[in-house]
Amino acid sequence: MSTAMNFGSKSFQPRPPDKGSFPLDHFGECKSFKEKFMKCLRDNNFENALCRNESKEYLECRMERQLMAQEPLEKLGFGDLIGGKSDKN
Amino acid sequence: MGGLWRPACRRVVFCGWPWSHLGRPTWAAERAEPCLRPGRSGPAGTEQGLRRLGTWRRPSPAEQPARRPKSTNPYTRSQEEDWRRRNRTVLTYVAAAAVGMLGASYAAVPLYRLYCQTTGLGGSAAAGHASDQIENMVPVKDRIIKITFNADVHASLQWNFRPQQTEIYIITSRLQTYERTIRNVCVIEQRFSTEQVVPGETALAFYKAKNPTDKPVIGISTYNVVPFEAGQYFNKIQCFCFEEQRLNPQEEVDMPVFFYIDPEFAEDPRMVNVDLITLSYTFFEAKEGHKLAVPGYNSNHQLSPASNL
Repeated sequence: MSTAMNFGSKSFQPRPPDKGSFPLDHFGECKSFKEKFMKCLRDNNFENALCRNESKEYLECRMERQLMAQEPLEKLGFGDLIGGKSDKN
Repeated sequence: MGGLWRPACRRVVFCGWPWSHLGRPTWAAERAEPCLRPGRSGPAGTEQGLRRLGTWRRPSPAEQPARRPKSTNPYTRSQEEDWRRRNRTVLTYVAAAAVGMLGASYAAVPLYRLYCQTTGLGGSAAAGHASDQIENMVPVKDRIIKITFNADVHASLQWNFRPQQTEIYIITSRLQTYERTIRNVCVIEQRFSTEQVVPGETALAFYKAKNPTDKPVIGISTYNVVPFEAGQYFNKIQCFCFEEQRLNPQEEVDMPVFFYIDPEFAEDPRMVNVDLITLSYTFFEAKEGHKLAVPGYNSNHQLSPASNL
């Protein structure tokens, strides 16, 4: 969806997300988890590696409240954090 | 051509004429002898004589067996037949090779599929497009990338739309070696080949949107990634783009983006100097009844930048 008119130049091709779109959290059910995640990010200088637990919890909250399709956490890249827990799927 | 004529060696042949009963091959040879003697004519000598006889000169009807071969000299004639035969053989081989190549290229697709199925090798469809590989990513500790976020809104959409963090640092991952080599072989089938669980570097980011008006508004967004070449490695697992999102009056929502950087990013030589990737979302207003081809999604609403609320 680049606005460049020249034919030869590379343009960006947007791709749909792998698992679709997040339904909107109209009632703010997972807002507290989001706040925790943002606070963790701010405290850790926005390094994502240190806040993966919080992001995992946010996604778990979404899955519980039907705001996200159920996925096993390994598929979302949290395999190291579950440590032997059974799959949610 | 005129210069080649020597009256004593003039030959005229009429192909296909029924003179065959008149001529004997030896006659032609005898008559050709004088012309073939060296020194007969200028610098070319024998060749000229041959040329005269072989290709451009025709023996007279009284003398010649009017056979197909262009030359009357049996030596050159058999040589020409040899050449012709050889040419035909070569042509046949070449044609067969061409057809064989074409067939092989068509057969390659099902053959690859069969190979991948029988050997059990897994793979992904294309670089950067398979979500199955997330399980097998291993972080590369020394490659940290900064992702900055940008938010835009089209002029006719009156939302307040902004990212909740300006940047995020993520560690790129790479696939384990085994997975990587497999991927290059079987690009059609998508299967799990190991069940190992290794950490990847999936990241979560938030945008916030607020509808300050008194009417519900439906927006639809698209995104852009700069630099363009790095955009192909930017994989979103889930986000809020390409689907209409409805905001009620005075409503404010968090919009998450869940993404990762493809492991192939670490191996692309063009990405060696890329340390900053910018993700930019733009919201448009969606209006009912219009049609727009949005990649990958079947939305009945479409972008309508010029519409009024």
